[in-house]
This record gives sequence, C-alpha cells and structure tokens, in this order.
Amino acid sequence: MTNYNELQECIIKGNRIKARELTQECLDNGNPAKEILDEGLIPGMAVVGKKFQDGEYFIPEMLVSARALNIGLGILKPLLEASDVKPVAKVLVGTVKGDIHDIGKNLVAIMLRGSGFEIIDAGVDVSPEKFVQMAKESGADILGLSALLTTTMTAMKDTVDAFQADGSRDKIKIMIGGAPVTTDYAEKIGADGYAPNAAIAVEMAKTLVGGSR
Amino acid sequence: MPQTSRELVRNCLKFDSPERIPRDLWLLPWATQHFPEEVKQLEARFPSDITKPVAVYSRSALVEGDPYKAGQYIDEWGCVFTNLQDGCIGEVRNPIINDLADWQQVKPPYEILPDIKELAREKVNRFCHETDLFVLSSCCPRPWERYQFLRGVENAMVDVLEPENGFLDLLKRIHEFYLTEIEFWVSTDVDAIMFMDDWGSQSNLLISPHYWREFFKPLYRDYCNLTHSHNKFAFMHSDGQISSIYADLVEVGVDAINSQLFCMNMKDLAKQAKGKITFWGEIDRQHILPSPDPQAGRDAVREVAEHLYNPAGGIIAQFELGLGANPATANAIFEEWEKIH
Ligand code: B12
Repeated sequence: MTNYNELQECIIKGNRIKARELTQECLDNGNPAKEILDEGLIPGMAVVGKKFQDGEYFIPEMLVSARALNIGLGILKPLLEASDVKPVAKVLVGTVKGDIHDIGKNLVAIMLRGSGFEIIDAGVDVSPEKFVQMAKESGADILGLSALLTTTMTAMKDTVDAFQADGSRDKIKIMIGGAPVTTDYAEKIGADGYAPNAAIAVEMAKTLVGGSR
Repeated sequence: MPQTSRELVRNCLKFDSPERIPRDLWLLPWATQHFPEEVKQLEARFPSDITKPVAVYSRSALVEGDPYKAGQYIDEWGCVFTNLQDGCIGEVRNPIINDLADWQQVKPPYEILPDIKELAREKVNRFCHETDLFVLSSCCPRPWERYQFLRGVENAMVDVLEPENGFLDLLKRIHEFYLTEIEFWVSTDVDAIMFMDDWGSQSNLLISPHYWREFFKPLYRDYCNLTHSHNKFAFMHSDGQISSIYADLVEVGVDAINSQLFCMNMKDLAKQAKGKITFWGEIDRQHILPSPDPQAGRDAVREVAEHLYNPAGGIIAQFELGLGANPATANAIFEEWEKIH
C-alpha cells in the first residue's frame, strides 16, 4: 500500500514541483488515479481548508496549495475520465450581477475542486439569466452564488427567482455566501444553504447533494 | 470663541479635550447621484471638520477615462480598470506585470508630481491658510493595493510567499514613489498625511500577520516617521477585520485609523488601542448605513461610544455615504454623536 502522506504534505505546503513528481510517481507505481485523488490530493486539501478556517492559513497559502492541487489534478484528469470516474457533483459558481469581488468565490471554488467536485466558474457580474443558461448547459447540480455588497445581495434573490420562473429551480441546489450574507437571508430568498467560509462551503455542498431538498 | 474645526481635530488627536466630537463625511459619487438634495442638507446641517486641498498634480499622458464611471479607466501607472457602474470604482482584469521577472517595466508616475514645487506648495498653503478646517494631504499612498493593481490580486497574494522573485523589488519601487510623494506634502502646511490599504476580509487578515509585519509594517512606519518629522499627523484607512494588526499600527505611529469597527470586537479594540490612537469612524456600511430605520444608526453610535468614547478625544464621527446608504440613517448618526458630546 502506498503511503500518501508525502503527497498530502505537498498540497498542504503548496509545493508544486513535488506535487507533480509524486503524483506521477504514484501513477508509475501502478496506483489507480481515483486512489491518488482520494488518498492524496483530497485529504491534503482538507487539511488546507481546516487550517484556513482555524486562522492558521490565509489567502496566499490557500492559493499556493491550490496551484499544487491543480497540477496533481491536471495529471489525473484524463485518467479519471477514461475510467469513467464521476466528480462528487458539478458546481456552477459565480459572483452576482453588479459585483466584481471574486476572491472569496475563487477560494470556495478551490476548496470544492479539492474535495472532488467539478467546478464551472461563471466569473463576476453574472446576470440571473446567464446563471440559468449556464446551469442548463453544464448540467450543474449546485449553484454557488457570491456577493460582497449589500446592494448586490438582492441579485441573489433575482437569480433564485429566475430559476423559479424558468421552471428549473427543483433541478439545482443553490447555496450562497459572501461578507454581508447570512443564513437568515438564504432562507428568506429561498436558497438551500449558506456557508460563512470556503471550508464550510464544502460541507454544505456535500449535504446538498447527499440529502434531498 | 468656539474652537475651529482644525483645533477640534487637533485636540481630538492629542487627547486634549476637543469641545465636541469632530465630524467627517465621505461621499461616493453614488450618493450624490442618487440623493443630491439629501446630501446637500446633510452637509449643511453637519459640515465636515476635515477637508483636502485642490489638485496640484499634472495630468499623466497615460490617463484615460474616469475612475468612477462605468467602462474602462486607465490610471497614471498604466493600470487598466474595468468598472461596472457609475459612482464606484472598478478592478484591474489584465495586470501589466504578468511575469514578475518584468517588474522593472513598472514606471512610477513621477511626472505627475508638481514640477514647480514652490508654486504648488504656495497653492496648497494658500488653501490651508484660507480654511479653518483640518487639512489632509491629497495624496494617498497604498503600496499593497498598488502592488495588486500591477500584478493582479491572486498573483500578488502568492508573491508574498515567494518574496525573492521580484516581490521585494517591485514593492520597493512603489514605496520609493510614495515616499517622494509624501515628501512634497510634508513640505506644505497640510495638517495630516493620509495613506491606506485594505488589509482585512470580513473575519480575518488577508495575509498572515507574520508576513504583514515583515513586508508591510516597515512601509507604514516610514510614512509615519516622515510625517511626524514635519509635525504632522498620520491618517490611515484599512477595510476589513484588522484587529490583529491594530497594536502594530499604534506602534508605528498611526494617529488616526479608519477601519470597519463593526467587523471587529470593539471591546478588544478598546483594550488594544483606546487612548493611543484616534478611531476615525466608521459606522458600518454593510448593514447599518443601508438600513431604512434611523434607530439602527443611533444604536450603532451608542455601541461605538460605549466602547471607544473618551471625553479627552480619540473619536472622529466619520462614515461613508456610499452604495445603498440611507440618508435618514446618516442624519440620525450625526444627531446621536452630538448627544454623546
Ligand atoms: C478586496 C475588496 C475589494 C476589491 C475586490 C478585489 C476582488 N478581485 O475581489 C476591490 C478594490 C476591487 C473592491 C471594490 C469595491 N468595494 Co470592496 N472590499 C474588499 C474587502 C476589503 C475584502 C473582500 C475580500 O476579498 N475578502 C476576502 C475573501 C476571502 O472573503 P469573502 O469574500 O468574504 O469570502 C469568504 C466568505 O464570505 C465565503 N464566501 C464568499 N463567496 C461565497 C460563495 C458561496 C457560494 C459560499 C458558500 C461562500 C462564499 O467564503 C469565502 C472564503 O472563506 C471588503 C472588506 C470586507 N469586510 O469584506 C470590501 C467591501 C466588500 N467592499 C466594499 C465596497 C463599498 C466596495 C466598492 C463600492 C468601493 C468603491 N469605493 O467603489 C467597490 C465595489 C465594486 C463592485 N462593483 O463590486 C464594502 C461593501 C459595503 C456594502 N455596502 O456592502 C466592503 C465591505 C468594505 C467596507 N468598508 O464596508 N473591494
């Protein structure tokens, strides 16, 4: 049995070069891509998320770990696809209309990707119609909306309403986040969940795809 | 004779018992666009005690557009901003320095600084002498924000962890420009020098306090030292939850700090900094100012006063009327401060 501690450590420390080497080495030793993902990359990223939540890691450390993760994922991706390994779920993320703040949204995407989710990033200033359209095209299971301004929070409601109006609301779970957002607000606008940070966003996403609405 | 605005602010900063709490209202163009009449009334009823002098800089040939208009704006460093809406600022989407090895391509805009210093100084000094208000410098050094504009936010964050690859060189180049800028302003009769950088998210510092202390604290110390060596006050703005560096800001000599008090534990801030620094606002822009209930504004003032008020000084009643703010709540905030002192 391969010891994945070292690969996990590369992700935790954000060591890109070693992450590449070790991922390749694991494959060369005949380990299945899915095992490398589940035992190496994902547990490493889980530690990163925990450290961020505990205030030990900050944005730079998260980003450096994400770069190492992406290198590992890049190597594994074609193999995972070839062996028909499915992501935990597909998540469409984006910052709502009128808002350009994207650091938080990007961290959420990083943590989700590092937990086995597939991410489709719609970017910033995304209109409700665009979200509906992209959700359809991508077949996303979850929509993650970010807003950092009290004035743009209302666009989250518009987006939930747009899915209602389109008749596709029950096909997608919607979670929301960003500095001014709260659980109460999520409830008020009919979203399925709220998470205050990127680590909890992962738990929320898992709950949303695990349970029924 | 009642104290002039300048005396009020100075006494407040020196904990020398100002007659009343000085006021400072910040306006984003958004507010004047949405509530022109209300803004006029608010300014007439509660005039600010702090001002900034007329522009004395030259226009850079690089500058195109308006930073507060929707569309594209190019600033004097050549950074291209994309803005979604009128009345607020935009963001750099394609940074100029994609590869940090190219950091030497950054040319700070020395050409915009007054070329005939004496004339510019005279103009600023005349402004200072003709007003009773406390005058802040019109410059606002922001080494971290400038670094981000040049490199993009995420690259900038990662550079902090790999400082030897050009991060320190580029930061130094930026810092030297800002020192030159401050040198001009300290040679005038303004009362204070202002600088800024947003250091917090809603719940923590953006980067580790360890790196902040290593790379950025010395820059602010330089700004404070230069400012104090000319007997002026140092004013700083920083958004987000920054309580972990509050004591450092006191230590480097910041005299007044504008920060998001409502992201932080005010009791803790009082312990760290009350009586040592002036809390230059603010009142929460996220929930309080947009509230249609003026009582929310009054309660917020009471909360700040309960923890941070000191009759000897240390509070400037400041807030920003920006996106989504409610003019009635803004009025109530100033009214309540009048009742406190
Ligand atoms: C950095 C910043 C900027 C940068 C943004 C750069 C970028 N690429 O994102 C710039 C300079 C461009 C900017 C611009 C403006 N900003 Co700004 N900005 C900030 C600041 C300082 C930090 C935000 C940040 O990046 N935090 C770091 C990340 C990691 O945290 P986060 O976003 O909260 O994300 C975490 C959680 O919220 C959660 N989360 C986030 N999204 C999601 C999504 C989902 C699905 C889930 C589950 C969870 C989740 O997880 C994340 C990671 O743990 C905040 C201060 C603050 N208190 O937050 C002000 C702040 C948000 N800005 C503010 C303002 C006013 C503005 C401007 C209007 C300023 C102006 N003068 O024009 C413009 C608006 C432009 C626009 N149209 O959007 C105000 C908003 C007030 C309000 N009314 O709500 C704030 C709160 C500052 C203040 N003093 O009040 N800003």
